[in-house]
Amino acid sequence: MTRSIHHIALMLSVTCLAIPTVRSEPLSGKQLYDIACEACHSLGSAPDHRVGPPLGNLLGRKAAAIEGYRYSEALRASEWVWTLPTLLAWLSDPDTAIPNNAMNYVNALTAEESQRLAEWLLQQT
Amino acid sequence: MFIRPFYGSQPTTVTYTASRRHLLHAAVATSLFGLTGGCSRSNAGRKVLVVGAGLSGLNAALTLERWGYEVEVVEGKDRVGGRLWTLDHVPGSPEGGGNVIGANYGRVIHTAHTLEVPLRTPPRALPSDYAIGGQRISRQDWAASAHNPLPEGWRSISPGRLVGKLNEDNPLLKTRAWHDPALMAADQPADEGLRALGFPEAAIRLINANNSYGNNLSDTSLMALYRVMGEFGRLSGPSLAVVEAAAGNMRLPEAMAAQLTRPVATGKTVKQISQSAAGVQATLSSGRTIEADAALLAVPVPALRQIALDMPQPHQAALNGVDYHKIVQLHCVVDSPFWEASGWGGSWWTDGLLGRVFTRPMPDSERYNMTIWINGDSCDSLNALDDENCTHTILQALWKLVPSAQEVTSVGQLVRWTNDPFAGGSWALWGPGQAGSAHAAIRAPAGRLFFAGEHTAEAYRGMEAAMESGERAALEIMRALT
Repeated sequence: MTRSIHHIALMLSVTCLAIPTVRSEPLSGKQLYDIACEACHSLGSAPDHRVGPPLGNLLGRKAAAIEGYRYSEALRASEWVWTLPTLLAWLSDPDTAIPNNAMNYVNALTAEESQRLAEWLLQQT
Repeated sequence: MFIRPFYGSQPTTVTYTASRRHLLHAAVATSLFGLTGGCSRSNAGRKVLVVGAGLSGLNAALTLERWGYEVEVVEGKDRVGGRLWTLDHVPGSPEGGGNVIGANYGRVIHTAHTLEVPLRTPPRALPSDYAIGGQRISRQDWAASAHNPLPEGWRSISPGRLVGKLNEDNPLLKTRAWHDPALMAADQPADEGLRALGFPEAAIRLINANNSYGNNLSDTSLMALYRVMGEFGRLSGPSLAVVEAAAGNMRLPEAMAAQLTRPVATGKTVKQISQSAAGVQATLSSGRTIEADAALLAVPVPALRQIALDMPQPHQAALNGVDYHKIVQLHCVVDSPFWEASGWGGSWWTDGLLGRVFTRPMPDSERYNMTIWINGDSCDSLNALDDENCTHTILQALWKLVPSAQEVTSVGQLVRWTNDPFAGGSWALWGPGQAGSAHAAIRAPAGRLFFAGEHTAEAYRGMEAAMESGERAALEIMRALT
């Protein structure tokens, strides 16, 4: 009995702690890019040491258009153009968006964060 | 027995110099950490305790620091790096831990590039011959050999490539969602699954002999094999070669640790973490306490189980159910190519005690590094022995396989991750029925406790999984703490 009470008390205390604090400001597009994208994608226009292609001037660009980057056959054949809807679909689930692509990525962002990130990325020139 | 243990039995302790740290700090602050104009001052004063100074904890710590959080990293070992362990005291500096940086390990490669840790293409392992049932078989004779146990249609496949047959119809070549409920039919014992797919018994037995993704195939989820093979399948191609840090993979976590404002506190074991509405309090084995607003547990699950944590029971139960892979490695140095006179290639794949023997040329030397790599439940009897008897047992098996090795082979280091209290094994395993639920459960935040480590990663395994998990955990913490 004592053990059960202790157990319930522990569960309640942990449940109450589920969200330590309420964040007053959501993570910005720049923060989200820094955390989730920057290691693999620069904001430039030419390939560098990173394993993914650069993301500068993305809005309106045809998929797989950066010269010198080794894209997957799937992306080259996709005929996608990067806009807010296509970028959101890609970020949400790349495998569903363009099957057999080469980006090994599982999105850890919320839908709101993905939206904020996509909007921010498409503003980068 | 001819053993020359002329190298130390313990890793060297790495120290840093202030000048190097400050130099790098200045050089990379803008490019890697984006501090210029990016730091959110509203985060100042928020403190995060990071337990574990492997790649996952360090990646999270650096991310949090560059966005204005105060970070304190404690590490139980006397060095940073976790399951990266470059054997600097052995000629050739072989890797006792993580040894492969995949071509698509974007976070690892970018961090190495930014922190000026040079990468290189590793020397290739020498060609492998076989020893099956105690019979030596040359690689040229494998397909036709009377000692090859495989049936027609399978005989030309080398034992190490048998599991690759899974990629003829691997659902995880098309999706990374390895715990998608739609795929859970494959979350079954791998031996049964392979049998149902038409793998002959001899092939299943050979796969089981050196399975790197489960201690035996009965306890391995077929989904875990699909996951690994899917990753390999997507990476095939000569232009996507693996790399390694030229001076040893441990240079990467060392360089990362050197960027932190507060040095990593090594040799500090956390015994308990309690949490309240005000924050977390960690108690070290020394009795010292550390208070913070949140704690990130970035240690392997067996080490995590040694820490008393305030956690929901389902989360604790999920942690208790995670098994770890067993690996015993004996790293040797070979003075001359004893295999050449007999026409052997220099490496071996065996279904016996030796497991696999990988030999590769030592850069800038005429000598070779030889790693005897034993997997899974075969390690149990070896792990029960002390270092000397374990080494002796492995060497006796080597001398029996290739007697000519005896006069030119020296022992560098015995590595047993299972016996390491801060690791408890080499990597997390996913048994039958675990792919669907256990993975999500063990990484879910529990109040002010957050979790990272390769066992919590979604997309990758290995070093990149550690980096990926640190990234995700930093994101969760930043969401939670204003």
